Amino acid sequence: MEHFLANLGTGFAVALTPANLGFALTGALIGTLIGVLPGIGPIATIAMLLPLTFHLEPVSGLIMLAGIFYGAQYGGSTSAILVNLPGETSSVVTCIDGHQMARNGRAGAALATAALASFFAGTVATAMIAMLAPPLALVGQSFGAPEYFALMLLGLIAAVVLAHGSVVKAIAMIVLGLLLGLVGTDGQTAAQRFTFDFVKLSDGIEFSVLAIGVFGVGEIIANLTRGGQSRSLLAKRITRLMPTRDEISLAWPAALRGTALGALLGVLPGGGATLSSFGAYVMEKKVARDPSRFGKGAIEGVAGPEAANNAGAQTSFIPMLTLGLPGNAVMALMIGAMMIHGIQPGPQVMTERPTLFWGMVASMWIGNLMLLVINLPLIGIWVQLLKVPYRFLYLAVLLFCAIGVYTISNSTFAVILAAMFGVLGYIFVRLDCEPAPMILGFVLGPLMEDNLRRAMRISGGDPMIFVNRPIALGLLIAAAILLVIVALPSIRSGRERAFQEG
Amino acid sequence: MTTDGPPSAQEHPLLHMFRRKNVLSGLMFIAIAAFGLWVSRNYPIGTTLRMGTGYVPRLLCWLLMGLGAIVLVQGVLETEPPRPPRERSPDDDELAKLRPVVAVTVSLIAFALALETLGLVLSILVLVAIARFATRELKASETLAAAVGLSVLTWAIFIAGLGLPIPLWPDW
Repeated sequence: MEHFLANLGTGFAVALTPANLGFALTGALIGTLIGVLPGIGPIATIAMLLPLTFHLEPVSGLIMLAGIFYGAQYGGSTSAILVNLPGETSSVVTCIDGHQMARNGRAGAALATAALASFFAGTVATAMIAMLAPPLALVGQSFGAPEYFALMLLGLIAAVVLAHGSVVKAIAMIVLGLLLGLVGTDGQTAAQRFTFDFVKLSDGIEFSVLAIGVFGVGEIIANLTRGGQSRSLLAKRITRLMPTRDEISLAWPAALRGTALGALLGVLPGGGATLSSFGAYVMEKKVARDPSRFGKGAIEGVAGPEAANNAGAQTSFIPMLTLGLPGNAVMALMIGAMMIHGIQPGPQVMTERPTLFWGMVASMWIGNLMLLVINLPLIGIWVQLLKVPYRFLYLAVLLFCAIGVYTISNSTFAVILAAMFGVLGYIFVRLDCEPAPMILGFVLGPLMEDNLRRAMRISGGDPMIFVNRPIALGLLIAAAILLVIVALPSIRSGRERAFQEG
Repeated sequence: MTTDGPPSAQEHPLLHMFRRKNVLSGLMFIAIAAFGLWVSRNYPIGTTLRMGTGYVPRLLCWLLMGLGAIVLVQGVLETEPPRPPRERSPDDDELAKLRPVVAVTVSLIAFALALETLGLVLSILVLVAIARFATRELKASETLAAAVGLSVLTWAIFIAGLGLPIPLWPDW
């Protein structure tokens, strides 16, 4: 407990400097902005803004990028409730009952419930990071190359289990990502791989170019092909923000349950905000005394998922910060951002750079507090933003993608590459191949190859090293069990139902 | 069970199969894997102890090909729910869907080619002028307003604000 307070003290000392407060606020504002606007997600935004953090202190850059991620969870609920359009995939389920509440004239109460539940969940999840991270990092420090390889394999397989849709396709997307990660100069033999004699490719494909291409440009194309969606804004004037006493007594247990579920699912590789909110909605429907109220404006259907998505967004930082293992695509980007600043992600970050680590954790709580202010009293501003039609928005996003890519790599070749990845990203969307596992594979690919080669050198080429080391063996067995479980038809159908429900 | 043949009279059943997402995805994965194997045909594989440049890439390509084959077979064996005959709406028109794909891609490539010689402002004009064809909803006047507005915004954020060294105008 003493350590806990001392660590948080270190963190708040960093996070409360005026500059870092400013970056947390900037991140939270941008996050809310893109959260409110449908069609731009946190992945593309963080990738676009990576170049802006080049000149910053590493901790300031990471504070801002983290703010964008959890800010988007808050903002996503606003457009879900008011326009029935999810600003983010994690707020898809908030549409169901949140928008019904707005139709019943309870828009203010729904918005307040979403914001308060998110804030509560954010607080709990931040405390959880502060408590769980040190012991986990300690475990991580005892890991050698075989353990790391096994852990990454487990992470990738878990990402498949939790992805939507076909398992085989998700694995194929991971393998594709692993392959893309190998493009460039082989670190051990200095030979060129898959570079087609392009000098610009010898350093490998820039991470943000792939992310902006697939998630930014690809999403724009996909949105445009879907044609214009009519939006009906349901908020002439939001008068009463406070929920009634009855609503509060229904909402707070739901927020508690959502927080617990989200915090748990967020830690799992492949988990995070989206899965948490879906899970929470299904759970609320199950525990409700009268499930028929759901879909007609049940406040638990707002409080539960909104708490869950924010808790999941926060706790997904745990494996990233302690083990250097990204559980979802946004965490993969955060690792990319760390590497840009010359920080090797892994368990040593906490001991070698305590101010960076604890500063980031502390800033998350501050950022959550800021978001409460940004979202409740200032709701009117965000409502105005919702009126910007997509035909203007896509031009702006497209331009920012182009400039973002150019500034990251200082080459026009990268912009063309991003355009190609955009087409690829659109093809993925059309063929129901989820690109998020690919990004995970892309980030982990070079690390896995490196650890595999090192493990083989330790053992003299004997693959039994993975069996003889108990931790590595345990992780591999866990991965195998997961794979068998998803392959079983009965569980697969249950999983599909879980994703479709709501 | 039905005797009146394939779901669509004009469409050959084999052709119909190629519209299935899993069939197409499987073929896509197989094609990518085959391409990867072909490119890496001369990469030294080495031994398990000293893995060469080609060891991991070729392993992954074979894995991807296998996975692609599974997806393809799943797609072929899929039992499709009988689809009600629908009227063709403009929404179904694959050609119409190509419009944003082409406009967005070409606008980005043109922007990339223009940026270092024509400067930022003219490149934004090029990007907006091409990208506007991605949708039919943009009026000419709106396009012009968007181009001007975006130029000012970009200048304010990236050049005045962040001081990025991008030339604003052509250097002649």
